[in-house]
Amino acid sequence: MIELDGAISPKNTLFVLLCFEGPDIYSTAGGLGTRVSELSEALATLGYTTHLIFIGDPTKPAIEHRVDGRLVLKRWSQWISKYYPNGVYDGEEQKLYDYNESVPYHIYEEIVRPALAEGKMPVIMGEDWHTAEVTCRTSDLLHWFGVRHKALVLWNLNSLMSLHRINWGRLNFVTTICTVSKYMKHRMWSYGVNPLVIPNGIPTRHLTPVDQNAVTRLQEIAHQGDPRRLFLFKIGRFDPDKRWMMAIEAAARLKYSGHPVTIFVRGGIEPHGREVLQHAYQLGLHIRDIEARRPNLEQCLDLVANAGPADIYNLRFFLPEEFVRTIYNAADATLANSGHEPFGLVALEVMAAEGIAVTGSTGEDYAISFENAIVTETDDPDEIVGYLLHLRRNPEEQERIRCAGRRTAEQFLWDQVIENLVGKLEFLARKQNISLA
Amino acid sequence: MVADLAIYTVVHQPRRLKLPAQPIPRGASIEDIVRCIFDERMNERYFRKVAQYCYYPATRLFLDLVRQGMQLSIGFSLSFLRQAEAWDPALLDLFRELVAEENVELIGVEPYHSFLFLLDLPMFVSRMQGMVDEIERIFGKRPVVTDTTEMCMSADLYDALDSAGFRGALMDGRPWVMGWRESTHLYRYSDEEPYPFPIEGKKTPAGTRGKRTQKLLPAKERESGPYLLTRHLELSDDVGYRFSNQGWSSYPLYADTYASWIANTWGDFLLLGWDFETFGEHHRVDSGIFDFMRALPGELARRGVTTRTPSALIERYKDPERVYHLPLPVFPTTWAGSGGMEFFLGNSAQQAIFQLMGHVYGLAKLTEHPDLLDLAIWLAQSDNLHLIQWFGRSGPEAEVSAYFTPNEWWSLGPNGVIHEQQQVYLNALHAMEPYLPPRLIRQARRKGPARPRRKREVEPELEMSYMARRA
Repeated sequence: MIELDGAISPKNTLFVLLCFEGPDIYSTAGGLGTRVSELSEALATLGYTTHLIFIGDPTKPAIEHRVDGRLVLKRWSQWISKYYPNGVYDGEEQKLYDYNESVPYHIYEEIVRPALAEGKMPVIMGEDWHTAEVTCRTSDLLHWFGVRHKALVLWNLNSLMSLHRINWGRLNFVTTICTVSKYMKHRMWSYGVNPLVIPNGIPTRHLTPVDQNAVTRLQEIAHQGDPRRLFLFKIGRFDPDKRWMMAIEAAARLKYSGHPVTIFVRGGIEPHGREVLQHAYQLGLHIRDIEARRPNLEQCLDLVANAGPADIYNLRFFLPEEFVRTIYNAADATLANSGHEPFGLVALEVMAAEGIAVTGSTGEDYAISFENAIVTETDDPDEIVGYLLHLRRNPEEQERIRCAGRRTAEQFLWDQVIENLVGKLEFLARKQNISLA
Repeated sequence: MVADLAIYTVVHQPRRLKLPAQPIPRGASIEDIVRCIFDERMNERYFRKVAQYCYYPATRLFLDLVRQGMQLSIGFSLSFLRQAEAWDPALLDLFRELVAEENVELIGVEPYHSFLFLLDLPMFVSRMQGMVDEIERIFGKRPVVTDTTEMCMSADLYDALDSAGFRGALMDGRPWVMGWRESTHLYRYSDEEPYPFPIEGKKTPAGTRGKRTQKLLPAKERESGPYLLTRHLELSDDVGYRFSNQGWSSYPLYADTYASWIANTWGDFLLLGWDFETFGEHHRVDSGIFDFMRALPGELARRGVTTRTPSALIERYKDPERVYHLPLPVFPTTWAGSGGMEFFLGNSAQQAIFQLMGHVYGLAKLTEHPDLLDLAIWLAQSDNLHLIQWFGRSGPEAEVSAYFTPNEWWSLGPNGVIHEQQQVYLNALHAMEPYLPPRLIRQARRKGPARPRRKREVEPELEMSYMARRA
């Protein structure tokens, strides 16, 4: 009979998060940076000592303490990053080698050994393919020193990038594999693994009510004098997986079926963006580029107000979070209609801002169509057109979806997600016969 | 019958490469290039292991023996000495104590245990002279007799050692070089007889002679080119290789038997040569190697064999009538394998690495950067060829080679080891390119950093904002 007296708590558990991305601008390329920054901060806020080892900005301190010293940011491979100024994935192979080679010893010597001496259980969690090897090596090293059974080692997958570079058999043998949605779990079955699902989360600040004056003003601007005009928003990398073409097609079909549209778009620097805007132009949509330098919310509103009439406003400037959340709330829908989405953090953020998210139907486990979001099941633009027109005809449904969406978002606050995580860790600790004081 | 015996032992640890090859950052500093190329963590691990099982107990053993009257000659690669200085100064002090004994002669060794002499003979001469100074700095004794790398010797190597000013040199007494000769006499290669017509050498402007390199012993002070002491192959390998081989017909070998074999050998004197690591590393303590060595001097004395240093043997046998001419081959002989360079250059993987050694060395010379040249010479370490002798081969030599290949590398698989080793050289080559003078000039012309930083859309103070997290 396995005995387990205690539960996981900050007194008996310490976290080590391994990730290429992190909270520095240098270290952020996508949702992974957001996830790991917020997860680590949430763990520290809940009282857990948390080490985040990431490819940090070479100009910042190698070690930085936050959240009363409980969050320890360790900027790894700075000696390499100094040669690669263009962010976390510049010099990727060089960084990967260094990370794999040096992190395991650091974890054992500087974190695990002292933690075990204090009677704490180390929980080591790697994120995405870059950390698959280092997670295995760390497990091997802990095994070598005879302490592997006293630590929990997890590895989490957030995207389908470079999965061919992972030694799945080895990884599955030495770690507990996790992922962020059931969709990802099923995708990973083909690699012979059956991960645990621990969803992504959002920070509490995303539930702060949006300024309704700003919302009203933005809606007036977007309507361009015509209250029937639909106001849509799409944000994300210019990646075919995000189904930008579907969104643009839908906007065009709405326009030519007598339902004028204003759509704000914010993409990245990816070359697919050129194809998207070219296609919109060919469909006869009027595009306006709006450029600015680090505007605040008011300035953002002024910028679009003064931009002149258009169907598409291409926002080519940094969008402050306040402005993004105002758009989420003000828009008739935010098109998060990805064809492949491991989790779909944007849609959850839209829900938190009491907006209406049009999602795809892959990793968005939290989305229930016409309950808390609109879920598209195909890449047919008419599906978006049809659902939007349905909502237009049923304003009370819009309101219900907005409210339900917010309630859903409340269930995915990091605190809640960590509770889920802790539950699973307790299960794993029990399996390993770790006695928690 | 042999009445004199010289025992020579060489202490060396390779500076192992980091496998799999670590990619070197673009435009990396030389310090960072070096950091990516060598596996110092592994080197330290092996060093400490060998120190525990061999260096400490064997040095103490030899210290006891020389204090009891045995004479010993010992050589150290700088590769080993650098590691000892860095990781175990106490061990280095123990070796200093040994070398300081009157009965111990310090023998020169090619500093990095490299094959530099196959790439650049004048540089080899200069480095050998530098080695003498460095060894003197460390031990307070100045070697006048030298080994090379893996006891390699050839006609041009001999000439290079002559140019460097050594009084004597050690080589292996391989039958294919010795021919009908016994390895138990003193030899030399230089032709000291007068020529029928005087030969005019290159005229050196007054005042410049000997300015760049200080010769060990000026030619006018030496009565001959370097004397050659040839290692006795069979008797050396009886201890060096076969001692713990239970399948060997003479196993187990006892000191009295071995001393008898020595005493019954024809010739003037005998040179035995072993890796220092023979004691405790190649043959573990439970093989009886330490007991054997401890008993050997007494057994030799009982049979009238006296141990001497190489310099003492030269003094004793340098009478022109007792010094014989030994024609040396152009292709070097070595104490490794079957005695020729095929041990190091015999398979395609070794040939590729050797080519890469040449490319890296050539490029390093083009950079005119002393640190890169130093790095290229490190990369010319013979060990990098020794460790892959097994590729495509089997048998005892391949087993010896595989024994020296770090265990950690085998997880890459044989082909992986070869591929990654080559990759180290390719990485080094590319990492040196930015240091080529024309590139440096063009970079300087561009003014500013090597590559302009891409303008960022988001300023640092906004790091927690939305697009910073999603940019």
